[in-house]
Amino acid sequence: MISGAWICLLSPLAAAGLITLAGERISRRGAGYLATLSCFVAFGGAIASFVGLLGRDGGHRVVVSTAWTWISGGSYRSGFEVMIDPLSVFMMLIVAGVGALIVAYSIGYMDGDDEERRYFAYMALFVFSMLLLVQGGNLLLLLAGWGMVGLSSYLLIGFWHERPSAIAAAKKAFIMNAIGDATMALALFLLIKKAGSVEFGILGGQYSSTVATLVALGLLGGAVAKSAQLPLQTWLPDAMEGPTPVSALIHAATMVTAGVYLIVRTHSIFEAAPHVADLAAGLGAATLLLAGLIALVQVDIKRVIAYSTMSQIGYMFLGVGVGAYANGMFHLMTHAFFKALLFMAAGIVIHALADEQDIRKMGGLRQLMPRTYLAFLIGSVALVGIFPFAGFFSKDSILAAAMDHGAYGYVLWAAGLAGTFLTGLYTFRLLFLVFWGEPSPFVREHFHALKRDVVGVSLAVPVAILAVLSVVGGWIQWEPLWHPIETWLQTVAEPTVSPKSWQEAVSSALALLLGLGGIFLAWLIYGARRVAVPRFAFAQRVLEHKFYFDELYDALFYRPTVWAAKGLYRWVEDPLVDESSNSLGQDTRDLGRLVSRAQTGLLRTYALAIASSVAVLALVFVAVR
Amino acid sequence: MTTALIVLPLAAALVIWVLPLNDVSAGALALLAALAEVGVWIQLVARYDFAQGGLQFAQQRNWFSDLHVSYHVGVYGFSVWLIGLTVVAMAAAIAYGFWAGRDRMRAYMGLMLFLTGAVIGVFTAQDLLLFYAFFEAMMIPLYVLVGVWGGPGRLGATLKFVLFTMAGSLLMLASIVVYGLSQNTFDLVQIGQSTSDWVFLGFVAAFAIKAPLFPLHGWLPDAYRESSPEVAAILSGVVSKAAAYGFLRIAITKFPEPAQHYRAPILALAAIGLIYGSLLAFRAPDIRGVIAYSSLAQMGLITMGVFSVNDLGLDGSVLQMVNHGLISTTLFLLAGMVERRTLTGELSRLGGMARGRPVLATVLLTTGVITLAVPLSSAFAGEFLILAGVFRHGWGWSVVGAVAMVLAAAYALRLVSAILHRDVGPAVSDAALDLRPAELGVVLPMLACLLALSAWPAAITQHSFRGDHGQADVAQGFK
Repeated sequence: MISGAWICLLSPLAAAGLITLAGERISRRGAGYLATLSCFVAFGGAIASFVGLLGRDGGHRVVVSTAWTWISGGSYRSGFEVMIDPLSVFMMLIVAGVGALIVAYSIGYMDGDDEERRYFAYMALFVFSMLLLVQGGNLLLLLAGWGMVGLSSYLLIGFWHERPSAIAAAKKAFIMNAIGDATMALALFLLIKKAGSVEFGILGGQYSSTVATLVALGLLGGAVAKSAQLPLQTWLPDAMEGPTPVSALIHAATMVTAGVYLIVRTHSIFEAAPHVADLAAGLGAATLLLAGLIALVQVDIKRVIAYSTMSQIGYMFLGVGVGAYANGMFHLMTHAFFKALLFMAAGIVIHALADEQDIRKMGGLRQLMPRTYLAFLIGSVALVGIFPFAGFFSKDSILAAAMDHGAYGYVLWAAGLAGTFLTGLYTFRLLFLVFWGEPSPFVREHFHALKRDVVGVSLAVPVAILAVLSVVGGWIQWEPLWHPIETWLQTVAEPTVSPKSWQEAVSSALALLLGLGGIFLAWLIYGARRVAVPRFAFAQRVLEHKFYFDELYDALFYRPTVWAAKGLYRWVEDPLVDESSNSLGQDTRDLGRLVSRAQTGLLRTYALAIASSVAVLALVFVAVR
Repeated sequence: MTTALIVLPLAAALVIWVLPLNDVSAGALALLAALAEVGVWIQLVARYDFAQGGLQFAQQRNWFSDLHVSYHVGVYGFSVWLIGLTVVAMAAAIAYGFWAGRDRMRAYMGLMLFLTGAVIGVFTAQDLLLFYAFFEAMMIPLYVLVGVWGGPGRLGATLKFVLFTMAGSLLMLASIVVYGLSQNTFDLVQIGQSTSDWVFLGFVAAFAIKAPLFPLHGWLPDAYRESSPEVAAILSGVVSKAAAYGFLRIAITKFPEPAQHYRAPILALAAIGLIYGSLLAFRAPDIRGVIAYSSLAQMGLITMGVFSVNDLGLDGSVLQMVNHGLISTTLFLLAGMVERRTLTGELSRLGGMARGRPVLATVLLTTGVITLAVPLSSAFAGEFLILAGVFRHGWGWSVVGAVAMVLAAAYALRLVSAILHRDVGPAVSDAALDLRPAELGVVLPMLACLLALSAWPAAITQHSFRGDHGQADVAQGFK
């Protein structure tokens, strides 16, 4: 079991290392196969760990294996260790499983790119990092995985590095994530000071409310940065500069959900700091509305899906913030299925249209690519949460849980319901614009169908698997009838809310109605075109500028930093340090000339100098004694 | 063993100076000596008893018995790693200088080997006057190496460098004389702790200039820009560590009270240097400027670790000394390799070098992300320990460090991208080749060391102080 966990962790790393070291000795396709194989091996390791845990009874489902002491300082020690418990196995299965499908899809998608090998090395590195994040046996190793995920995401977003926009987006993503890393590190420093350790176990200890609040805030900072929640959300849409499978892997299925995992993993400190947990839920609610609104006006197929991702992760934050840990994780899982599906179907569309991503140029693809349309439709319906597709089961249980969280919970609940309406609207706006109507001139000109070769198969099979999962994936759990996920995760994180049956029923009914309402409105406007697209110039401008967050951060942080650096050069470095040391050199030359006059050649001058020096030295000696 | 480590390079230097060798054989002999030195160091690691710790391989001969001055050398746990850094980095620098074909090879290689011996002398001397002698002996070849083999502005750079370091050295000499005479011995192991603020400040001034700490870095930008890449690599990678070593071995160990007394101002200077260097690196117009100012920042961080005087900070600072030494050496050598191809270090004239140059891209990118201390790298481990250590003296210091972590990401990514990514820069021609095997052979061992340390930073942190309790070890004066 534990060896399965180590294989799961290390096989993608080995693939990344091999591909890098092999260079051109491995064929491009070979690199793709190697990376895919390593991810499937990792999935096998995850299954082995899962089966191993299943064989144990509830209380003993934690196994820690320490390979060596990773870093130490005095009595403080952190091992390089993996931990297998229900939560980490749950994540390992999603990361390795969905990851393997997406890497397999990449073989087709990246076919013909000059630097396929580099791409697959980065992909494998990413999967390793994400597995390290979820398997790391202590907070420091979690942080290490956290940072490595940020790094591999930087590499993948900036994969097409000759594009300035891709490099800028990659840097932005890395630096926003580095802010989160820094706040997490501060939380860890505080823990080391208070408890002398960064094991997960110490989070349940007794701390003053100030300490608990600060630690939880630091961790929340990391979580919102990685999961692109308010106020560190601005990097995610830009990150769509990366290849589409990257968006599916990183910006839908795995990395961005790490924040949810973190909160569940460290839930005891959030329970000790309830205000911070409420803050997390509130940020989630705010993000889900904000992202849903922005998605209404986006014209890039991937950016619409990216905002939808932000919005869905908002739901997960809402769920884990109010203490419905299992529901949040459940939604994380179904979201991984249908969002990866949507991205990959969108990837096929982009592929078929010669890399065009502007939905205004698309239309009428339903007749041309019916199977892709079907996949996209399944993903969309699952995303909106229509019975019996996956999103219905997971999203509604989060909303019901919010109702059991007092008055504040009802506010969150209302926000979540409003979000379902927005979800229906923007999702089907996208679907109708891309697939319905008559094929546009652009589509007629550029469309080329997939062939039944390796490329076509590699694109189609993972999409088909995910389409099936997007339908049946939600049936695992239907609160309150059966809830195996909740039972499975119970030993790790006991939920703090338990919604009643009527709350479940009301939430489901309302969410379903509102989702259908959104779809209907989208149909009126974009499908049947019975209603003209409403125009609100001011609102549209605000939404197209994404509520001016980029401009705000530019003015608040980036520019001041540049000004500070320039100012320091101008007012401190150049005059104070450089000039003064230059004039120091000049003074010394002058001094040298002055001193050289003492070289008189007269013996008595020298004798006088020697005698007086000795006298001074003697005085010093006496003084020191 | 210790004496062998010091004498081997010095003897090789003499041989190269004396024998009428041609350039190739002089370079080859120097490289051979440098590699032999690495071999001796590996022996040292294998034989040093880390479980016991403390001073080992000590050798002592009387020098001036009435002043209690002796030739006393030996090795502590942390010195083992600093010596390791020295021998590895010097071997790489010598190999690169040999490959790049510096003129007057015999003189050049002799000076490099002499420098190696002197630096190891600094890290092993257990007598204050001997320490001073090695400290000065280390500077002399550097003056010549910068002043003769440097770029067009080398004379100005050398003059500044000489003046700054001379001023520091004189203050240190005065402190050593007063301290040694008042304690009636110059032996670093036996000499008692002192409470004199002035003597302490004399030492601190010398080390703060050498490190350098803000605002005593006036010599740094020019010296790092004007010297040849391998000399800049050694200056920032190895020689600056002599200062950090001095803080650790002398300043906080022998002057516990003044160190505590002046902790806040020194931490403040280090913290200012950390932010200031990071900001300047973020806007520096050329490759070497970025590395130079990031070195200033890193030396601030290391100084914070030393002056936190607790287990975490001390372990972290020793680890970070080795990390930064390897990183900075690698970066400067890579800067040299890029400059060789493009004849410029100006970032605005570079760009797009990744396309068609996968080896250069991979090596530079890997070094870059270790520079910015991505979690899981050894640099992260060092930074984490230092900031966790200094947190105990106030959360504000660690917040400054956390801000610097973000700034480091900004300047390191800017450097990497400006060289490798976006459109091909005007100075980059298609004739600019990927890294040659020899160049790869120079940087790869250091990169391998960094990756190995990333996997196991505890190799250093657990093997630097007796029983891994730096604070207790310092409090006892490393007896």
